Amino acid sequence: MYCKKECIAMLLAGGQGSRLYDLTKQTAKPAVTFAGKYKIIDFPLSNCINSSIDTVGVLTQYQPLALNEYLGNGAPWDLDRSRGGLTVLPPYQGSKRSDWYKGTANAIYQNINFIKQYNPDYVLILSGDHIYKMDYLKMLEQHKATGAACTVATITVPMEEASRFGICNTNPDGSIYEFEEKPKNPKNNQASMGIYIFTTKKLIEYLEADEEDEKSSNDFGKNIIPNFLNNGEKLFSYKFDGYWKDVGTISSLWESNMDLIGQTPVLDIQDNHFRIFSRNTARPPQIHGKNSSAKNSLISEGCKIYGTVENSVLSGGVVVEEGAIVRDSVIMEDVVIKSGARVFTSIIDSDATVGEGATVGTENAGKDKITVIAKGTEIAPGATVQD
Amino acid sequence: MAISAAGIIFSSLNNNTLSRLTTDRTVAAIPFACRYRLVDFCLSNLVNANISNIYIVANYSYRSLVEHIGSGKDWDLARREGGITMISPFQTSYASSSPKLFSTHMEALRSMKEYINELKEDYVVLMDADNVVNIDLENVIKTHEQTGAEITFVTAAIPETYTSKTPRMMVSSVADKITDIAMSASYNVKNPELSLNIFVMKTHSLRTIIEEAEAYSLDSLTKLFLANYKSSNYRAYRHDGYVASVSSFLDYYKHSIALAKNPEARDSLLWKKGFPIFTKVHNSAPTVHTATAVVENSVIADECFIEGTVINSVIFRGVHIGKGTVVKDSVLFHGTYVEDNVELNCIVTDKDVHITSGAKLSGNENMPFYVQKKRKI
Repeated sequence: MYCKKECIAMLLAGGQGSRLYDLTKQTAKPAVTFAGKYKIIDFPLSNCINSSIDTVGVLTQYQPLALNEYLGNGAPWDLDRSRGGLTVLPPYQGSKRSDWYKGTANAIYQNINFIKQYNPDYVLILSGDHIYKMDYLKMLEQHKATGAACTVATITVPMEEASRFGICNTNPDGSIYEFEEKPKNPKNNQASMGIYIFTTKKLIEYLEADEEDEKSSNDFGKNIIPNFLNNGEKLFSYKFDGYWKDVGTISSLWESNMDLIGQTPVLDIQDNHFRIFSRNTARPPQIHGKNSSAKNSLISEGCKIYGTVENSVLSGGVVVEEGAIVRDSVIMEDVVIKSGARVFTSIIDSDATVGEGATVGTENAGKDKITVIAKGTEIAPGATVQD
Repeated sequence: MAISAAGIIFSSLNNNTLSRLTTDRTVAAIPFACRYRLVDFCLSNLVNANISNIYIVANYSYRSLVEHIGSGKDWDLARREGGITMISPFQTSYASSSPKLFSTHMEALRSMKEYINELKEDYVVLMDADNVVNIDLENVIKTHEQTGAEITFVTAAIPETYTSKTPRMMVSSVADKITDIAMSASYNVKNPELSLNIFVMKTHSLRTIIEEAEAYSLDSLTKLFLANYKSSNYRAYRHDGYVASVSSFLDYYKHSIALAKNPEARDSLLWKKGFPIFTKVHNSAPTVHTATAVVENSVIADECFIEGTVINSVIFRGVHIGKGTVVKDSVLFHGTYVEDNVELNCIVTDKDVHITSGAKLSGNENMPFYVQKKRKI
């Protein structure tokens, strides 16, 4: 009964995101709040629907409660479809075996039957921890034009950071002759974004072979892509030149939030040509009291601002009481900053309270010294919390 | 036990005084408080009392209302049973003389008699869209049960902003028993209170009322109330929260500005604990305040871009306020674009108005200046 789809997406959203520490103790990384009212996973999901890809399997594993609730039936992304749409794919018990997802490739392997029921020509592999707006159809067009077995999306990164990424070494025609995972001496700065388009037949063939290989760590970057190359399959890179950020660390999450503010922000969240969709809550408009100030900031609905907010991103329902100061910070849902409290260069997770006159974070600390306050923390009046 | 009630919302049956805001929209679809329309308050009041079988009666220009409501999903009213039913214009023989659209509550009720006869709920709540309140209707219905009233009228103190130019139903009561009703602004009843036109009654009482109206050819609910109140047990339920009774353009303006300036007004209407106001959600991004933004005593929706100064104002979704621009005591509807170095004082702009650089517009707090939809100045 499933109709055929040309291309379906498989979104890897099971990662723990351990380098986000307190922020991902109770929540999977893709469900971490970003840009006030969004979750990280809104970006790849919105990219899919904006690229007319209406069938998305979301592979979950780590702390899926908040994520599953957020995804629901996919309606916020217009992915509540009777044919296709959004399907959450957790690990499951099979008749022969039952396993957690051992690696990115194994996660897809375990869901080969999901892929097969749509009989797609192509499969798009995505991950749920990057902030970017991308039209996957353009990548698919290139994939079709080159006749590649696999196309790897790449982005130019600063040369000094290249050794942190999977680097694609390409011929002048864009075909990849070598893929180096986190090389010590990178030959160039074209980093893999962890986004792949596979011709379905080839993908299934290699996933099945990889599963037979007991030594394999069942990972796309470490095993599948190198195997494609070793066997002389046609591999191409697709150069993406928009905004892209891996928000896998506290400092990159903070930096990416800071990219949203300013007169001409690096990432314009209000750009409606390529809208990002999210699950909306019924909150009243934002309120600004007398003698309040909000400058150079992104402020969501339901906020009550009676103090001072500068260079910050505020999620829904944040209260900044009189005389309180919030600067260079990311404040998530329903945090209360009591009167006279001061918050500098911090990320405060939802439902936390900063007591009267308390100080959180260090003034002008910069991205390497971000103070993180966990969900629901209550900071005593007058206390000082610094990283 | 959960109460069993249905809701009937009347959009614009008694209101011809909002002309500017209703040239191409019915009263229930008037935008209010940054991100809502008047109907959102009615719907949320009903939904918050677990009432999920709701009829909306609209006779003219209801397109924007239909668009706003959609499937009813945003109020959790996309139900297999119940949900929202639009009672759309109906050329009816119930309407007096030559065929025309229903124009009174009673004509509308008579035209939807079949629906009313099939209601399974024990109670019905009738409400007008133009009295904006956030009220615990469950408590109103419980009180109605306890007092054994035939009809409970929700009332409120007459607001200071009330201008006697527009007739409103006034009631007076002794120990909550209604002793007088007047359909006039001249307060010719003792200790008048404003009827919020929220009426609670048993479903079979409503059926009786409709039959009675048919028998005596009464075309108005008010006439029926006036004929019956002395012999009936009509009771008043006093609502103490903020009431934005939008009976004129000036009322509309004053209540809007009150939301910006008066924390009690907005707390009562928008922030009442356990009583959220739901509305159609748009995927709007958060609002940007740039380094030059100054915002005081204002309420602001999502997806605005603010570079200038905003004081005592109500700013709807997607409004742009340019550099050096000062907006004071104004209400700017969705999509208003204000360029740099503009001065706005006591202005109401309708949807998608564009105000070009250097313009200076000023109304007066008792005579705000209205700029119509899509106008460029």
